[in-house]
Parts: sequence; C-alpha cells; structure tokens
Amino acid sequence: MEHLGLSLALFGAALAAALAGIGSAIGIGVAGGAAAGVMTEDPNKFGSCLILQALPGTQGIYGLLIAFFVLNKLGLLGGAGAVALTWNQGLQILASCLPIAVVGWYSAIWQGKTSAASIQMISKKPEAMGKAIILPAMVETYAVLALLTSILMLMGVQVG
Amino acid sequence: MSYVYTVARLRGMENHILDTAFFSRLMDSAGIDDALKALGETSYSQWLSQSAGFDKAIDSEILATCEELKTFVPDKELLDIFRLPYDFHNVKVLLKGLFKVRGGESEGRRYDLLSKLGTIDTEELTNAIETEEYGFLPYGLTDLIPQCWQLWDQTKNAQAVELLIDHQMFAAMLKVAEGLKMPDIVRWVRCKIDVENLRSAIRLARMKYDSAKALPFFHDGGTIRADDMSRLLNEPQETWSRTLSYTDIGGVLSALNEQSDINAALSDVSKSLDDYLIKVLESAKYSMDAPANVLLFLLTKEAEARNMRVALVCVAGGLDREFGRRLLSNGR
Repeated sequence: MEHLGLSLALFGAALAAALAGIGSAIGIGVAGGAAAGVMTEDPNKFGSCLILQALPGTQGIYGLLIAFFVLNKLGLLGGAGAVALTWNQGLQILASCLPIAVVGWYSAIWQGKTSAASIQMISKKPEAMGKAIILPAMVETYAVLALLTSILMLMGVQVG
Repeated sequence: MSYVYTVARLRGMENHILDTAFFSRLMDSAGIDDALKALGETSYSQWLSQSAGFDKAIDSEILATCEELKTFVPDKELLDIFRLPYDFHNVKVLLKGLFKVRGGESEGRRYDLLSKLGTIDTEELTNAIETEEYGFLPYGLTDLIPQCWQLWDQTKNAQAVELLIDHQMFAAMLKVAEGLKMPDIVRWVRCKIDVENLRSAIRLARMKYDSAKALPFFHDGGTIRADDMSRLLNEPQETWSRTLSYTDIGGVLSALNEQSDINAALSDVSKSLDDYLIKVLESAKYSMDAPANVLLFLLTKEAEARNMRVALVCVAGGLDREFGRRLLSNGR
C-alpha cells in the first residue's frame, strides 16, 4: 500500500496520454479517410487537407503535456527520484488527469468527423478554407478548456 | 464499413458533373458539330470519339462511372439498386424480341436496344433467355421468365408481360434495399415505386381507363398503397395534388393544376417526378458518411445523362430549344 499514491498518479498520467492519444488517432484517421477521398480526385488539395487532418491531433499533444506535468510533479523526470505520495494525493492527481483524458478522447473523435466534413466542403468550395478550419476549431475549444482544467487542478495538488 | 472516404471521393467527383447552365449553353450551339466540340473538355469526349453515336457514348460514360464506383463503394448492392432496372429492361427487350420471332417475324430481335448498364452481362443474359437456362439469373428472374412465357402463351399480351416484369423488378429492388438495412435507401425505393405508380396513373387517366380494372397496373411496396393509386382515377387530375397532399409526392403534381396546356403540364410533372427522386435523398448531402450519397451521386449522373440526351437530340434534330430547356432536369 505504500506505493498506492504513486500508482494512482501514474495511472492518471497514463490515462491522459492514452485516451487523448487514442481519440486523436481515431480523429485523424477519420479526417484522413476523407482527405484521401478528396485527393484521389484532386491531388492539388493536399495542403488544405493536411491542415484539416492535423487538427484532431492536438488532443493527443494535450494528453502528453499533462502526462509530462504529472511525471514532473512526481519527480520522475530528471533522475531525482519519486516523491512520497499518500493514496489521497495520488487520487487527487488521477482526478486532475481525467478532464483531458475524457474530453480529449471524445472531442478528438468529433473533431475528426467535423474535419472530414470540412475536407468534403473544400473539395467543392476551395475558397471556403477559412470557414472550413473554424468549424473543427470550435470543437478544439472544449479540449483546451479541459486542458486548462487539468493544469489548474494539478497545480492545486500539494505533494512532497 | 465507413463511408467517409467514399463520400469524400464522391464530393470530388461531383465537381465534374455538368450543370443545367452548361446544357442550356449546349442547346444554343449552331449545330451538332459545335455541340460535340463544346463537349470536348468533358468526360464524355473520350466516348464520343470511340462510340457510334452519342446515345452509346452517354451509356458508356454512366457505365464507366458505375465501374469506378465499384472500386471504392463498400456495399456493391447500392450500385445494384441503380443498375437493376437496366437488367429488367434487357429482359423485356429480349423477351419481346423472342415473342416476335415466335410470331413469325424473323427480324424480331433488337439487340441494339440492350443496355450495358445492367448488372448481368448482356451476352450471358441473351444466352440464358434464348437457351432457356435461367438457373443462374439473380433477382428472381429464374422463376419470372418462365412465368412470362406462360403468360404470353395464354394471352399474347406484351403489356401484361411487361407489368409482370415491372412488379418483379420493384420487388427485387425493395429486397436488395431491405437487405442493406439502410432506411434512406428503402425509403427511396418506396418513393420510386410511388413515382412509377403515379406515371401509370397519369397515363391511365389520359386513356380514361376504368379505375375498377386499373389495380394490376400499380406496384406494391410504395409509400402510397396501390389501392389508393387506382382510386385516384375516379377523381379529376386537378384534385390529385390535394388528395395526395399528405404525402411528399403530392406537391410534385401541382403542375397539373397550374398549366393549362396538358402536354406542357405532363412534361413538367414527368421532370418533377425525376427531380423528386433526387430530392428524396438530398438530406444525405449534409452527412459526411451517409451511404445514400452513393445513390444520390448516381441519380445526379443519370440526370446529367438525361440532360445530355435532351440537349443533343434538340441540337441534332433542330427541335424547339425552349421546349428542350423545359425538359432539363435540375440534377445539379
């Protein structure tokens, strides 16, 4: 039981990186399918499609950022050794990771779908690229809010 | 299976579909040579140089589109629903030809009327029907063709045989659509049955056909019951749109009231019915992965082909261009 706190905190970091990463992979996959379809007919749209396909990838980065934040807080980066954590502190860190883990996972999938729709839009109206980026970017808002929530919660957890 | 790739590719392909404005300009061509020159930059040009006549070229373009779609559409049955009526058209052509041959007309066979757009190879179908080996034929044709022969032997009525084939065609389309488990596609097939029933009703009304005997002319499976369709014949055509106002198709008939010229009204209704079948699927346009987009694309392509025929026939035959413009579908 003496390492339960550390285990819970690491579990939180793993969830943040894994769930947000899975979401991003699915989202990019969906957008990539649409991009491939459009580029089969018009390879010149590669640049526009790439930008839109990349948008759902940010959630994975946010998850990774939170995982680094947690590892840094636990003293696991830099070789100084892990700090001692009670199970209660470990649970607090786990809870702090949940916003970006859950919202990152789900929002990336939906952002991927919106990106795919936007890619289809620019295949017919290339001049609407600006609007096509804004639509999936709206979904990003909630991933950013979840990232902020996770950061603020983590900053509030006292360890060591 | 995901339709994201499929629909995205179709969106790209839609950019090459010719719009009504193009056909309107095409009709302004001084002659057929000018019109064919205008088609030089379209996908039809490759077929025009190979085929004998623009009719075959138009069929070749649709066939090439179907073959291309076959390479990336996950459910091939979606293409079958579109192509299946051409199989039944071919069956009608072949049977009618054989009926004539049996009746003593040596030149009865009209292989030139066969369409290559069907799912069954025309040569295989011809062999099957001429050698009476129907075992491998799909869509219930194995049982249908002997029934057609039986009916012909009993009645010598080609129209009755045609109706029997049409009944089976719609039953087969509905069966394929239900097998796909895609509600939009099932709804479209049912609406197509309504459209065909309504066309029959309009024709029968013009012939002042007795409604009590009209039921066999209507197909089952539509959103409007065949009984209700036959009852329409008891009412003046002007009231049909009101009688059918509870259905989506009711509005299409408003041209029957608005036009005083019956021929113009009928051509308007016929065009509206074609457009209606596209409109039924239009909600799929707003979905990035709705399978109905495949059928919607094919119908739009078919409307393009229809417009192409109208425009080229008008130009080649020196027909009234204004009348031709009225016949153009709003496919895109």
